[in-house]
Amino acid sequence: MATEEESTVKEPLDLIRLSLDERIYVKLRSDRELRGKLHAYDQHLNMILGDVEESVTTVEIDDETYEEIVRTSRRTVPFLFVRGDGVILVSPPLRTV
Amino acid sequence: MSIGGEKGSASTKTPADFLKSIRGRPVVVKLNSGVDYRGILACLDGYMNIAMEQTEEYVNGQLKNKYGDAFIRGNNVLYISTSKRTLAEGSS
Amino acid sequence: MATNPSQLLPSELIDRCIGSKIWVIMKGDKELVGTLRGFDVYVNMVLEDVTEYEITAEGRRITKLDQILLNGNNIAIVSDNHSFNVYMPLFREVTSLWTISQTN
Repeated sequence: MATEEESTVKEPLDLIRLSLDERIYVKLRSDRELRGKLHAYDQHLNMILGDVEESVTTVEIDDETYEEIVRTSRRTVPFLFVRGDGVILVSPPLRTV
Repeated sequence: MSIGGEKGSASTKTPADFLKSIRGRPVVVKLNSGVDYRGILACLDGYMNIAMEQTEEYVNGQLKNKYGDAFIRGNNVLYISTSKRTLAEGSS
Repeated sequence: MATNPSQLLPSELIDRCIGSKIWVIMKGDKELVGTLRGFDVYVNMVLEDVTEYEITAEGRRITKLDQILLNGNNIAIVSDNHSFNVYMPLFREVTSLWTISQTN
C-alpha cells in the first residue's frame, strides 16, 4: 500500500521525486541544457546533479550571408548545484519517447 | 468585498475551478518565452508547476522535442489552454 | 490612508467585468481579448473565446483559444473590449495586416 502511495504522481513535484537517482534532462534559461543523475532537490527545484553533461546553444548571424549559425558547446561536470529559478523543464530521459 | 473567487454564480469559473476541470485532458501550455508544450495534463499545483505526459515542444509552431514525462516550473507559464488551437501568421 | 466608501477597489472593477469581453495587455509584445469567466487574488484569469496577438521575430501571429488560465504575473493593463476596438487601430497603423480579423 505504502509503495503504491510512493509511486503515484499527485502533484507535479512527485515527478521529480520519482526521478531521484535517475538520469534526468533539465532545460534551463538562456538555452542551456543539462543531463545528469539527480541526487537531491527541493521545492524551489534547486538540484544537485552528478556526472553532468551541459550543452549551451548559441545562434549567431553571419555578417555577410546573414545565415544563422547554430553552435552547441558541451562540457562535463562531476557535480553541479543548479539554482531552481533558472529551471524551465525537467524530464526523465529514460522515459522520453 | 467580493473577490472573483468567492462568487458562486453558474457563469463564473475561477482559476481553481479551471484547474480542477482540466486534469487528464489534453492541454497547451504556453511559456513567457513563446515556447508551447502540448500534452496530457497529469497534475499541477498552486504555483502553476505542471506535470505533463506525452509532451511535445513547439518553437515558432515547429515541433522541436518530445518528452514522455515533463515537469514545467510554474514561473515560466504564460497560460494553460484547453483548446485545439488554430493559428495563422501575419505578414511581417 | 483615508477610506472613501464610494471608492471602487481595483479588484471590484475587474469583478464587474466577469461575463464580458476584456482586453489584456501583457508585459512585452503580447495582448489578449477574451470573455472573463473568473479571477483570483493574484489576478490569474480564466478567459474564454480568446484571441491572442503577439509580435515575434517571425512577424505577427494570432492565436484563437477556447478557454485559458492566464497567469496574472505578466499582466500589465486590463481594459474593456470597447477600448480595444477604439485604440487598437491607433496603436497598429494598419490593422488589416493581422491575418485574422478580430471577432466579436
